[in-house]
Amino acid sequence: MALLVDRYRPRSLEALTYHEDLSERLRSLAQSGDFPHLLVYGPSGAGKKTRIVATLRELYGPGVEKIKIDSRVFQTTSNRKLEFNIVASVYHLEITPSDVGNFDRVVIQDLLKEVAQTQQVDQSARQRFKVVVINEADHLTRDAQAALRRTMEKYSPNLRLILLANSTANIIAPIRSRTLLVRVAAPTEADICKVLTKVGKQEGWSEAEGLNRRIAKDSGRNLRRALLMFEAVHAQNEKVTDKTPIPPPDWEALIEQIADQIMAEHTPARILEVRAKLYDLLSHCIPPTTVLKTLTFKLIPKIDDALKADVIRWSAFYEHRIRLGSKHIFHLEAFVAKFMRILESYLMGMDF
Amino acid sequence: MPTDIRNFFGGKGGQTPAASQEQKPSKDAPKEKKPKGRGKRKVLSDSEDDIEVQPARKSTPKKPPPKKQMKRESPIGEVTTTSDYFASSGKSKPTRSTPTKPRAAVATSAKSTPRAKATPKPEPTTSGKTSSRKKNKPNYVELDDDEDDDFAPRVINVDADSGDDIFGADYKNAQKGEEDAYEIDDNEDEIVKPSRKTAKGGKSASSRKGAISKDEDIDIQMKDVPAKATNGTNPAKGRKRKSAELQDEEDEEADDNDIPPASKKAKDTKAKSPAKKASPKKVRKEEPHIRTQVDDILDDIPTVRAPTPPPRDGTQKFNYKDFNSKRSEPAPSGPSAELPVGAENCLAGLQFVFTGLLDTLHRDVGKELITRYGGKVTGAPSKKTSFVVLGSDAGPKKLETIRQYGLKTINEHGLFDLIRKLPANGGDGKAAEQYEAKQKEEQAKIEKAAEEMIKQERAEAKKAASTNTRNQPDSKGDIAGSATTDSQLWTVKYAPTATSMICGNKAQVERLQAWLRAWPANLRTKFKKPGKEGWGAFRAMCLHGPPGIGKTTAAHLAAKLEGYDIIESNASDTRSKKLVETGLRGVLDTTSLLGYFAGDGKKVETEKKKIVLIMDEVDGMSAGDRGGVGALAAVCRKTSVPIILICNDRRLPKMKPFDSVAWDLPFRRPTVDQIRQRIMTICFREKLKVPPNVINALIEGSHADIRQVINMLSTAKLDQDAMDFDAGKDMSKAWEKHVILKPWDIVSKILGGGMFAPSSTSTLNDKIELYFNDHEFSSLMLQENYLSTNPVLSNTLTGKDKNLKMLELTDKAAESISDGDLVDRMIHGSQQQWSLMPTHAVFSFVRPASFVAGSQAGSQTRFTSWLGNNSKQGKLMRFIKEIQGHMRLRASGDRHEIRQQYLPVLWYRLIHELQIQGKDGLMDIIKVMDSYYLTKEDWDAILELGVGPMDMEKVKIESQAKSAFTRTYNQMAHPLPYMKASQVVAPKKKSKERPDLEEAIDESDSGLSSGEDEAVLDDDEPLDLKKDKYVAAPKKKKAAKKSGAKGKGKVKNENVDDDESEEEVKPQKSAKGKGRAKK
Repeated sequence: MALLVDRYRPRSLEALTYHEDLSERLRSLAQSGDFPHLLVYGPSGAGKKTRIVATLRELYGPGVEKIKIDSRVFQTTSNRKLEFNIVASVYHLEITPSDVGNFDRVVIQDLLKEVAQTQQVDQSARQRFKVVVINEADHLTRDAQAALRRTMEKYSPNLRLILLANSTANIIAPIRSRTLLVRVAAPTEADICKVLTKVGKQEGWSEAEGLNRRIAKDSGRNLRRALLMFEAVHAQNEKVTDKTPIPPPDWEALIEQIADQIMAEHTPARILEVRAKLYDLLSHCIPPTTVLKTLTFKLIPKIDDALKADVIRWSAFYEHRIRLGSKHIFHLEAFVAKFMRILESYLMGMDF
Repeated sequence: MPTDIRNFFGGKGGQTPAASQEQKPSKDAPKEKKPKGRGKRKVLSDSEDDIEVQPARKSTPKKPPPKKQMKRESPIGEVTTTSDYFASSGKSKPTRSTPTKPRAAVATSAKSTPRAKATPKPEPTTSGKTSSRKKNKPNYVELDDDEDDDFAPRVINVDADSGDDIFGADYKNAQKGEEDAYEIDDNEDEIVKPSRKTAKGGKSASSRKGAISKDEDIDIQMKDVPAKATNGTNPAKGRKRKSAELQDEEDEEADDNDIPPASKKAKDTKAKSPAKKASPKKVRKEEPHIRTQVDDILDDIPTVRAPTPPPRDGTQKFNYKDFNSKRSEPAPSGPSAELPVGAENCLAGLQFVFTGLLDTLHRDVGKELITRYGGKVTGAPSKKTSFVVLGSDAGPKKLETIRQYGLKTINEHGLFDLIRKLPANGGDGKAAEQYEAKQKEEQAKIEKAAEEMIKQERAEAKKAASTNTRNQPDSKGDIAGSATTDSQLWTVKYAPTATSMICGNKAQVERLQAWLRAWPANLRTKFKKPGKEGWGAFRAMCLHGPPGIGKTTAAHLAAKLEGYDIIESNASDTRSKKLVETGLRGVLDTTSLLGYFAGDGKKVETEKKKIVLIMDEVDGMSAGDRGGVGALAAVCRKTSVPIILICNDRRLPKMKPFDSVAWDLPFRRPTVDQIRQRIMTICFREKLKVPPNVINALIEGSHADIRQVINMLSTAKLDQDAMDFDAGKDMSKAWEKHVILKPWDIVSKILGGGMFAPSSTSTLNDKIELYFNDHEFSSLMLQENYLSTNPVLSNTLTGKDKNLKMLELTDKAAESISDGDLVDRMIHGSQQQWSLMPTHAVFSFVRPASFVAGSQAGSQTRFTSWLGNNSKQGKLMRFIKEIQGHMRLRASGDRHEIRQQYLPVLWYRLIHELQIQGKDGLMDIIKVMDSYYLTKEDWDAILELGVGPMDMEKVKIESQAKSAFTRTYNQMAHPLPYMKASQVVAPKKKSKERPDLEEAIDESDSGLSSGEDEAVLDDDEPLDLKKDKYVAAPKKKKAAKKSGAKGKGKVKNENVDDDESEEEVKPQKSAKGKGRAKK
């Protein structure tokens, strides 16, 4: 009874429904016997992970799908113990070093060395090397990335790395030059519609073309999101039509509320109310940049064109600050204050 | 003199220029004229009033025309008019006031007029009169002040005119030097007051505030016209111009006063009868009687200068708003003001209250100024208050009180004038007299006390007791002067030897004594009778309070008086658990040897058998005294000897063990008055000359720390025989205990403390210093509270403009806070650039505050919510990580994607379903959870992670459904993706489920996990259950079913030691069972 998105996840390269040429290339890479390090990047929900798993299956066969989670304990130089989860099959490891924050270097160093120095145990394995999949590679610290670069060359007989990232921006050049860059673009809306139709048919749900298109659009070309929205709509409505409203996620609904509040009144007291809601979002693990971005896009349609450029500018300004700073609420609040001021003075100008 | 007079007018007359002018001249005239007539009339104030009224009318006719024409102008005319008035004598004046005021009944206008008249008069008098007259003029000013307060009532009474007459009479009297004049003065004061009010109103109208003033003027004019308006117009105008600045304030006050007058009318009629208002006046009057005329005059002068007192507005609310808006606008004035120099102790006996934001004078400076000259500053006005120094934005409450009691209000110039003009020691003023009398009384007491002290010392010296044994080394306890008196610290030498000598906290000391007295009886009844106050049920007493207020002294004294032998232990002794237990064992059940033996040639004091244990500085029990507090508390519970615990801070967490075993006896800081006499006695004894105001300053400077004051004096005595105010101030500053402000105080100080007011003298460094009081919290606290101020910078605007301004300020502040965060990152980031702390202080604290500083009225200072939210975020982030870790085998997203995309859907499938379907949907829910390897804890986490429409608060699940869910879930076996190493070690969740078997489970788990950790999970096949803690629950149930297994479990619980082998067996069995079950 898993969710659709996971139940209908394609297992093999053949089953993938879009980016056919990319699938083809991956297959030939897997069959070539000379599998390079990969850096797979693309927006979330584009199918990176799915493709990697399918590629691994192509490399090692179905055995790679027998996975388990290991919990390992690493010790930092300061004797702090880090608990770290590894998803592993006999043939590969999957790690998320950003789980341990600033100590990712320790994990990278210890774990990779350990893996690289041991040979493949299974003599019948199709490949001599093991694969290590590193999730969220763009969140690796500089130190960890530096630790990676030499490992990649030195242990290449026993080890292949697949780095997964949303963008290559944060990945240092030496690593980029050592890997084959594979870009997985987000599926087009048509691709998404196709997937939704297919899934809907398999579930035996009545089809609503218009609804699917709306979902594809609302999902921001994020297939995972689209599938989850698809499921949510169907779960909450017995009968769906093209007009069926798509329930927004909880946090988006809250941000919508905030936007309305901001528009309704421009006073310091209102900022205080907004602050409470922002705190709510942040404390419930919605990243501040997401909050700011969503809020901005909710506000933009509500204001005059003359203001839009300014608002976008300040939004970008404070998003940058969120990245630079550590107490995110300050910057979010500053944005709200700025927005109110801009809007209010604009309105006052009209009054005069 | 002229300059002074101008100030005078500026203050009083200036405020009520236009309307007041008219009236003022009339008053002035009456005053001048009256003096001549007054000399004769002096006898009865009431009669005078009547008489005066008639003459006043006469005079009025002359003046009326000029008033109407040139109310605001014609300063030149004043002199002439005044002379005319003089010529015409007091008669003309009285007439005016009487008819206008009483009949008009419109308090504002009528009042304003009299005032105006009064103020202008002084000028003419000064110019025309000789030196003696000049002196008289100052008197007028004083009267004016009084008048302001009293105006309302008196005016109504019709005395206003008479007041004018009285003024005149006073002048004359003063010149003549007759005692009668004093009486008259009193009457005058009352009368004058009403006049002032009117003057104020008039002034304000004409004064700077254009629109407002005009309105007022109109009102005033109307009133004036009916009133007689005639007399003073010309002179008043001239005066008004001069005083314009001050007039504004006066106007406001005048309005306030208007209301009260009606009520006070009755009082007014009989000048002496009005208690409230009369008191200050009476004082002055009396003084003059007693002292020479010159003194009287001097007194009068300061009061006159006070004229600035702004009358209050008629309607409180209206006035206040008006007041506020008006005040806030002109607020900007530099911190310039040159402080006046006055005669020593010139403010003696006077009580001042500051309210509002003074133009040039910082409040602290003002307070210092007043205390320096022997005055007293209190926080809130009361009947006893002699003057209220009014600034802008005065508190409405204070204004109310001022009106209620008809207090005199002056502005800072008035205060300065007071200081400059009052003679040393307050001259002959009534207040000063009383003060002096008090001083004498005090002095007598001191001398007496000193004598006693000497006697005692001698007596003790005779005894030549060598038994100092009782005196503990650091206690101030028995001071009995021994031969070594000279080498003793003053604090020891002058420690109290009787309860009467203790400063403050008398009730506490008595209670302590009573407790000690009753202790043996209570012991007999096993402390079953709590008594009236409840202390009878306690074997120990806990004294707590700030340092230096005599806790230890009191404890020793009480013990001594009750005949106890004292055993003391303080922070110099190690008091660990062991030492407390063993060390006290020998003490608690014994009696003192002193009860049986005594030193050579001494009497055996049989009553000394009793022992009291004083544990001093209990809160000083620190790391070295491990367990000491607990042990001591245990001792307190069963001691057979009274125990007195002494500490500074009772609320410390480590003092908690004493909550139930000791009766709390809080000691408070004694007041200055309580300490002063004692200190002065000591000074007297030591032949150190310290004036009372210096002692007051010392006591205040040390926050009523008696010990410190004595030490300071002792130090001072080393190289000087006298101490003046400055020396005392320097000293108390040098000795100042640095108080670290609490975060709340920091914020309210920076936001609401006027640190950014133009008149503030605090520098950027001071503000940064404030930040460093608590550098971690101050910026957070500011961020929390900066939105709830009423920024001063936006006060001048109203409506939308104000809102925009506020937004602008808020925006700037928020941006600055945002800047501050970047700096903070550089400090706390990898760079650790701690030298940026001051920068952070400015960006995150000072600068934002500079924008939004203003009153925090209507909202209390909140504690920062950042900390709470941050830790909540940390907690929820852990949940998300956990969930993501569990889902990882199924879902590919990272934790943000899990949170933002999966969670809403999962919430719907897991939480919402249960909410809607209740028990019916259980199996579906559990299936979904199992497919993602989610545990019950994850379910709770998902519930908690909802936000907005999915907020946990909005989820209402039937408790029945929920418990059914929990039960069903626990009954079933669930797949688990993996086991955390930490969970193996400390399986908390297990313990919750079955607390009995904790240990057994632990063992089994660890044993299993080591071997089976690596079990492979397959998507299709659920996991091997053995490894997991979560598996434990089903196992147990199975075990329960099997009688054998169950028995084992129980056995294990009982014999923990032997459990290991059995436990291992059991879990394995259960594990196997599960495995089967699943597949």
